[in-house]
Amino acid sequence: MGCQTNNPAVRRFTLRFVVAMLLYALFSPLATWGLFRWHLPAVIVWLPALLPALPIIGAVFVTGRYMAEEKDEFQRAVLVQSLLGGIGAILAVITVWGFLENYAHFRHLDILMIWPLYLVFVGISYGLVKARYR
Amino acid sequence: MKNRLRVLRAERNWSQADLAVRLEVSRQSVNAIETGKFDPSLPLAFKLAHLFETSIESIFTDEN
Repeated sequence: MGCQTNNPAVRRFTLRFVVAMLLYALFSPLATWGLFRWHLPAVIVWLPALLPALPIIGAVFVTGRYMAEEKDEFQRAVLVQSLLGGIGAILAVITVWGFLENYAHFRHLDILMIWPLYLVFVGISYGLVKARYR
Repeated sequence: MKNRLRVLRAERNWSQADLAVRLEVSRQSVNAIETGKFDPSLPLAFKLAHLFETSIESIFTDEN
């Protein structure tokens, strides 16, 4: 995926993903600032609270779009395997951590850490999958 | 799956990149197929067969 900069599907994916992450970087502090400043009533407080989640959902959608637009079946297979590796790793980590929290008094893992950890695991998985096909 | 892609390419003096352009895939895809690490779909196998003017069975052989 990364080596194919002249691939239009990759270019579109990269642009859309970067835009989604920039929106996340903008909405996250904006929501925090707004919630503290405006003291919104409980009925509508979920609106700004959900704002940073939208770009993350968008990033998942962007990944799905890329898979639909990518014509190269090998590149698609590499991405699918990388995503499966990332999903498997994050599920394993949060499951293990959950039991450690319950029974071994480990520190609480903030659920907001799941997305960045998932991205890290997908990145590692992508590197491993690419190395296998080299 | 074993294949004769390297030989067929060499006969035409094509690089992996040349074949990739003709197949409209990445060079990495050609390399993965050629080294037997990735099995192409039936449509891509047909495309290869048409390109080399031969049959799928004469390019790919089942190892079992």
